Amino acid sequence: MIFEKRTERIFLAIFFVVALCIPLFLEENSFFVGKVTTILILAVFVMSLDFLVGRVGLVTLGHALFYGLGGYLFVILTPEYEAVNFWVYAFYIMGLNALIALVIGAVVLRTSGIYFIMITLAISQMAYYYFFDSLEFGGNDGLFIFMKPETSIFGLSFLNLDNPTHFYYLALLAVLVTLLAIKIILRSRFGRIVEASRLNPERTAALGYNIFAFRLISYVIGSTLAAYAGLLFALQYGYVNPQFMTWEMSGTALVMSILGGMGTIYGAIIGTITYEGLQYFFEHMSKDWMLFMGGAIILMVLLLRKGLAGYLEKLLEK
Amino acid sequence: MSTELFFVQLINGLQYGLLLFLIASGLTLVFGVMGILNLAHGSMYMVGAYLVWYFVAITGSFSVFAILSAVIALGLGILIERVLIQRLYNRNHLDQVLLTIGMIFVFNSLQSILWGNDPYGVAVPEALSGSVPFTDNSSYPVYRIFAAMVCIAIAAALYFVVSKTRLGMLIRAGESNREMVEALGVNIKSLYTIVFAIGVMLAAVSGIIAAPMRSIVPGMGESVLITCFVVVVIGGMGSIKGAFVGALLVGVISTFAAVLIPTMSNMIIYIFMILVLLVKPQGLFAK
Amino acid sequence: MSKIKTLAGAVLATTLTAGLSTSALAAAGDPVKIGVMLPFSGIYAQLGEAGRDGLKLALKEHAEKLHGSKVEFIELDTEAKPSRAPELASSLLNQHEADFVIGPVHSGVAMGMIKMLRGKDTIMIIPNAGSAAATGPLCSPNVFRTSFSSWQPSYPMGKVALEKGYKKVYAISWNYGMGRESLDAFEESFTAGGGEIVEKVLLPFPSTNFQSHVSDIADENPDAVFTFFAGGGAIKFVKDYDAMGLRGKIPLMGSGFLTEGTLQAQGDAAEGVMTGLHYAEQLDVPKNREFREAFNTEYGHYPDIYAVQGYDAGQAIANTIDQLEGDISDKQAVISTMEKLTIDSPRGEFTFSKAHNPIQNIYLREVKDGVNVVQSVAAEALEDPARGCKL
Repeated sequence: MIFEKRTERIFLAIFFVVALCIPLFLEENSFFVGKVTTILILAVFVMSLDFLVGRVGLVTLGHALFYGLGGYLFVILTPEYEAVNFWVYAFYIMGLNALIALVIGAVVLRTSGIYFIMITLAISQMAYYYFFDSLEFGGNDGLFIFMKPETSIFGLSFLNLDNPTHFYYLALLAVLVTLLAIKIILRSRFGRIVEASRLNPERTAALGYNIFAFRLISYVIGSTLAAYAGLLFALQYGYVNPQFMTWEMSGTALVMSILGGMGTIYGAIIGTITYEGLQYFFEHMSKDWMLFMGGAIILMVLLLRKGLAGYLEKLLEK
Repeated sequence: MSTELFFVQLINGLQYGLLLFLIASGLTLVFGVMGILNLAHGSMYMVGAYLVWYFVAITGSFSVFAILSAVIALGLGILIERVLIQRLYNRNHLDQVLLTIGMIFVFNSLQSILWGNDPYGVAVPEALSGSVPFTDNSSYPVYRIFAAMVCIAIAAALYFVVSKTRLGMLIRAGESNREMVEALGVNIKSLYTIVFAIGVMLAAVSGIIAAPMRSIVPGMGESVLITCFVVVVIGGMGSIKGAFVGALLVGVISTFAAVLIPTMSNMIIYIFMILVLLVKPQGLFAK
Repeated sequence: MSKIKTLAGAVLATTLTAGLSTSALAAAGDPVKIGVMLPFSGIYAQLGEAGRDGLKLALKEHAEKLHGSKVEFIELDTEAKPSRAPELASSLLNQHEADFVIGPVHSGVAMGMIKMLRGKDTIMIIPNAGSAAATGPLCSPNVFRTSFSSWQPSYPMGKVALEKGYKKVYAISWNYGMGRESLDAFEESFTAGGGEIVEKVLLPFPSTNFQSHVSDIADENPDAVFTFFAGGGAIKFVKDYDAMGLRGKIPLMGSGFLTEGTLQAQGDAAEGVMTGLHYAEQLDVPKNREFREAFNTEYGHYPDIYAVQGYDAGQAIANTIDQLEGDISDKQAVISTMEKLTIDSPRGEFTFSKAHNPIQNIYLREVKDGVNVVQSVAAEALEDPARGCKL
């Protein structure tokens, strides 16, 4: 069973039921559908980060690089006024991203701890500067995606990406697939070795496993999932900007992941919803929303030892 | 580049590097002794700058209030450590990161509420406002020379405290083996409070010293934070000597890069950091 | 069990009720809804606050022009983050059904907003972002601007430099849209008259590491320096320039933002700096004097260009509503009315170009005793060429 904890099963069951039904209540109001879609897309990004940080033990502050690349690669590879096939290009982009992650990972995984954090941050910042300065790729103004891709498979198309509700379901599907993929990987032999190398690297190595290779593959997987999330984010409103790949973006995702409960994966969903929900609530309440946001974060860190998921588990696990 | 220009740029670079050292010293000290990654370090720098601006704006006197601001920062550091940081010693590093990020939000918001969002400047104090004639066209501001001297003095003081005093010995011992120090009857809690407060004060003092040379704007804390981390990582996390060398290197390299390859100059320090880490994965003077 | 239900319910409920309650407000009566998307936190906060203050003052002063309609403001903090732009714009357009959307300050945010709002059932008025694209290739009938295009303040300065006899100029700015476009505009007119740009330096944005460049300028010894910097960067550059002894030796010129909202912080260092802008605090225009006093009475401090631009956005709205006698249901009518307006602005009167950018005077100002004193009109009724706009 890939969902071992009772809390996990309860939460996910409630979450997916609510998520499936939400568009029925929000049909007229396409802002809210868009808002929850963005939250779902962010949840995919944060889950991929949670996998890397919480389970593989790679604390990266450069994860947003792949998030931004997902969108930028789409703009770069596709013709401006033609609707391409979504699945084909998603595949291309994830493939390209995997290659880039492979090359970057091979270099950065030689370091660890604070040094790994800084080097991943440095690489994402340099990519940010590159896109910010570049005139061909829109520079600091960013670029538009004028034509949304179409989604036919063998000529049959169910989703029209211009329809916010359809896009919402695509995002929800992404959440489901990412969650399952990560959970299955973690349950597999590969996943167990990766976790073992986080908990006790020396012993795992002594048992003959090439930790570097396992970590590299995990890094590629995590980064590719982030790229898919980034692709959806860019397609949602048809806009990319270098700001999507800054360390602040990576940092925000890290905050959401820690708040939700590091390493639980389903906690990433909780963390994303909570963070976005709190920000929305505070913003509409006061112009000094940042004060409340900071206060809320500080309170949650001090009171919840294992994040929100941890707190839920304390309540529900016997 | 003429020799004259080269010499001026070298001085510029060293002066910038010395200021960077002052900012980074607190960060590396706190991490080295306590293992805490204080992301709100930049906010402390900002607090120092805003405090001195505020006092100068209402009284016009720089020197007295520079010292007052430093003392306030020291008190603030003690308060933060006692109320917040102390609760996190047994938690994992990421929780500390999260807490200090929350602190950044709070400080930025307080800055906006207390002092407003307009950009401010602090005039260079009268006594130091002259300049030393350099070339036919230009002269070097006395204040920058003064600032460099202050940074060197503080660096020397730090060196003296860490290597020659009892407190310094406790700091070095606490860095390598916390349990042993505790077992030897030292009150580690007080030690940590002192160290954290000193770290905060160093950041604030750098903000105070830099204030007449900078503009006081929202977000000024975050803009030094990353450079600060780069310096500390290059030098080796926890090593004050490393931070000194790292800061000077970063200062000189970014200054020359700015004139020689301006559009790439922001990338240059990252490239330098990556190169250093590839050769010495724990920084130049790793512990 | 009940604990988790409360926990989970709380977040979801608050999110939904917060949204629903504001929509409920919208249905009652017939207010004019003005969405305001400006930065209220971070480095651009001052510009956002000034723009909003100016906007609100205009609508308060012109309340009779609204023909009885009340005004409802919805203010959203962009934090100058482009990633939030389309979402916030969607909130104003779809959730709040704003009739007008005012914003932003930051050009990247402007792009995100335009993507969402162009061609839609609302009027977008830009009270600051100067990016050329907004009234260039991405111009749209429902997008207006009451500020400037990056080209406008800098283009006339080339002619000014030639008239003052400067032959070799050192140009420096940040490497991003506004910086590049400003330097390009200066270069366009300067080189057309035979001037030479001896060095064109683009620093990474938003680096304020100017010391090395100021030393470089001293070494290069040009006839003058032309720059674009704004806010904190402007303060530091002018101070560093002065500290190195260059003030008075090598004339410093710039796009007006170099000395807007920064004079107090710059102090003596700014004396003698010449800039070009579509406004100056001491502009001898009756409307300006009225406006400055009204603003000071309302807010307790005097306004800057960012407030003027917000104020004019408010005036544009009020005058449009007035001419349509309170009925703004036909967006086409709103657009064609607004297009034909002459705005009685504190900067002098201006009209909109085909691309909906102000056709306005650019004043040459020089800082004397801590004030931007108008020396002359550097360009009269200057219209941005709107390259790439199909309107």
